[in-house]
Amino acid sequence: MKFRAKITGKGCLELFIHVSGTVARLAKVCVLRVCPDSLCFGPAGSGGLREARLWCEVRQGAFQQFRMEGVSEDLNEIHLELTAEHLSRAARSAAGASSLKLQLTHKRRPCLTVAVELVSSLGRARSVVHDLPVRVLPRRVWRDCLPPSLRASDASICLPRWRTLRSIVERMANVGDHVLVEANLSGRMTLSIETEVVSIQSYFKNLGNPPKSAVGVPQNRDLESMVQVRVDNRKLLQFLEGQQIHPTTALCNIWDNTLLQLVLVQEDVSLQYFIPAL
Amino acid sequence: MAAMLKCVMSGSQVKVFGKAVQALSRISDEFWLDPSKKGLALRCVNSSRSAYGCVLFSPVFFQHYQWSALVKMSENELDTTLNLKCKLGMKSILPIFRCLNSLERNIEKCRIFTRSDKCKVVIQFFYRHGIKRTHNICFQESQPLQVIFDKNVCTNTLMIQPRLLADAIVLFTSSQEEVTLAVTPLNFCLKSSNEESMDLSNAVYSEMFVGSDEFDFFEIGMDTEITFCFKELKGMLTFSEATHAPISIYFDFPGKPLALSIDDMLVEANFILATLADEQSRASSPQSLCLSQKRKRSDLIEKKTGKNVTGQALECISRKAAPRRLYPKETLTNISALENCGSPAMKRVDGDVSEVSESSVSNTEEVPGSLCLRKFSCMFFGAVSSDQQEHFNHPFDSLARASDSEQDMNNVCCRKEFNRSDAKYFCII
Repeated sequence: MKFRAKITGKGCLELFIHVSGTVARLAKVCVLRVCPDSLCFGPAGSGGLREARLWCEVRQGAFQQFRMEGVSEDLNEIHLELTAEHLSRAARSAAGASSLKLQLTHKRRPCLTVAVELVSSLGRARSVVHDLPVRVLPRRVWRDCLPPSLRASDASICLPRWRTLRSIVERMANVGDHVLVEANLSGRMTLSIETEVVSIQSYFKNLGNPPKSAVGVPQNRDLESMVQVRVDNRKLLQFLEGQQIHPTTALCNIWDNTLLQLVLVQEDVSLQYFIPAL
Repeated sequence: MAAMLKCVMSGSQVKVFGKAVQALSRISDEFWLDPSKKGLALRCVNSSRSAYGCVLFSPVFFQHYQWSALVKMSENELDTTLNLKCKLGMKSILPIFRCLNSLERNIEKCRIFTRSDKCKVVIQFFYRHGIKRTHNICFQESQPLQVIFDKNVCTNTLMIQPRLLADAIVLFTSSQEEVTLAVTPLNFCLKSSNEESMDLSNAVYSEMFVGSDEFDFFEIGMDTEITFCFKELKGMLTFSEATHAPISIYFDFPGKPLALSIDDMLVEANFILATLADEQSRASSPQSLCLSQKRKRSDLIEKKTGKNVTGQALECISRKAAPRRLYPKETLTNISALENCGSPAMKRVDGDVSEVSESSVSNTEEVPGSLCLRKFSCMFFGAVSSDQQEHFNHPFDSLARASDSEQDMNNVCCRKEFNRSDAKYFCII
């Protein structure tokens, strides 16, 4: 098993720092899946979709160098379990660095070595190395950390402005724990929260729907009808506050009364967060 | 004439003073105010006696500085000078020196003086428009301690800009307490302590290499790797922000304390930290090394003061607790075993210090849940007192007096540690 990757360039380094930061905010222990053309972060353990879970994919384009050799020829992947905070801290030490190298090594125990080349303010080179302890996962548990494959969602809509969405959900979180998320295929989205004493509703319109959303939907489907799902507000807020990338695309998919999926894409990075219905 | 202190500072001087207090608060919850003709010293030592901090403000730092000691005339014409014995709690002082930036801007003058009759320290801030803020703090009568550590005989000396150290510190997680400094004549490396990484299976190992040309001064006598607690390092960094002076690091071999200093003419700050003693160096006749060092130092001290050296016993006791994994037998003594050794130790100190021998080592067994499983050299301090007779008769009394809280379990265990006689060697710092 071999893995060696290098990131150079300010933009790519910052993106990697944000990605590892996001994963650390949303999962304590994560599984790093090294695939031939990408690096995927997933939750550890098999919880299915009973809990809110994050998957993140960093495609090869984000790396200047990417070489890997999996467990075997037909199973060309490596699954590593590590503490997300360790990777995030190590990545943060690369702020302003000239390069960051990831390598699977063995130093008394299997490690993911993060080597950062820094240039100090006086123009002199400095190097920092972190050895993060990892656990190589056996093949029998590989299936648990793959993202779920689901049928097409009932509604798919672009999210409103991130800051607005976050501040609304934040205020709603002060009122109650359950938020109802509704959306239709005409660019309308509603967030509602209701307690005995008060009910709050936020209406968004003209949001736009991703083009693929029309695929798989029967012709006579009413574009105006709202699809809904009730989720735990705190989980939603955790994602809205924890994620650190600046997505070019942000959308959500709703499976009626079943599941809410938030998808963010920035360059070669994609984040998916699933929140099951209550 | 009682022992007293009176000084006046301007706004910007208060900021430096406040930063010094904040830096020392990283080491201990209490500190001594120790005025002398050299200036006003703030001294503190941590509860496990493995770190000592002292910030000395020279008389010219202040707008006005006045101090005096009590002189006791005695019949045999041996006047004894009793200095101010003033110990203050950080809890009382830190809130007074909060918001240093706004203090610097808004106060015209700060006055600190003592009232020995009431065991009080008075701190007054004078603002514009006649506004005055006064704090009265009771102090505890306690003899200040000091460590005598000669930086100039250290083999290795570095001088760095605080920025470099701050960058390095960020790499280490707060869960890691120890860092190892590894130097060669060309290279500097700060890295996670190997011992700690071994114990905690999920710990990240980090290291940072810096070229020697990034240092203001880089003199390495021999390749060295030393390990120490870096909590106190952060304290020194806090203070360096106030002075803009570079930090100097003086050190020798593992086991010998390491000194961090900042010296900018008006203020001199010294943090002396214990370092982890090396197992290998222990095997290669450390006893003779230490004893000979001690003899050299005791000669020095004797020449300087002409007084009885044992009275001024400044001892370094290396706790021979090896990590459990490697040397299961040679760990800390059982507390009951300590008590048995209690009296012999007292006698030994009274006599010639150089007579401590291997036979004084008791057979030990592991103490479950024992606090200090690492072999840190601990520094024992002599009281800063001209009253040698008092010290000589009760060497452990004064050391016991210097400890912080009586109820603290940590301290109780540590004190018992020091009372035991199984220290393999004594050496005077």
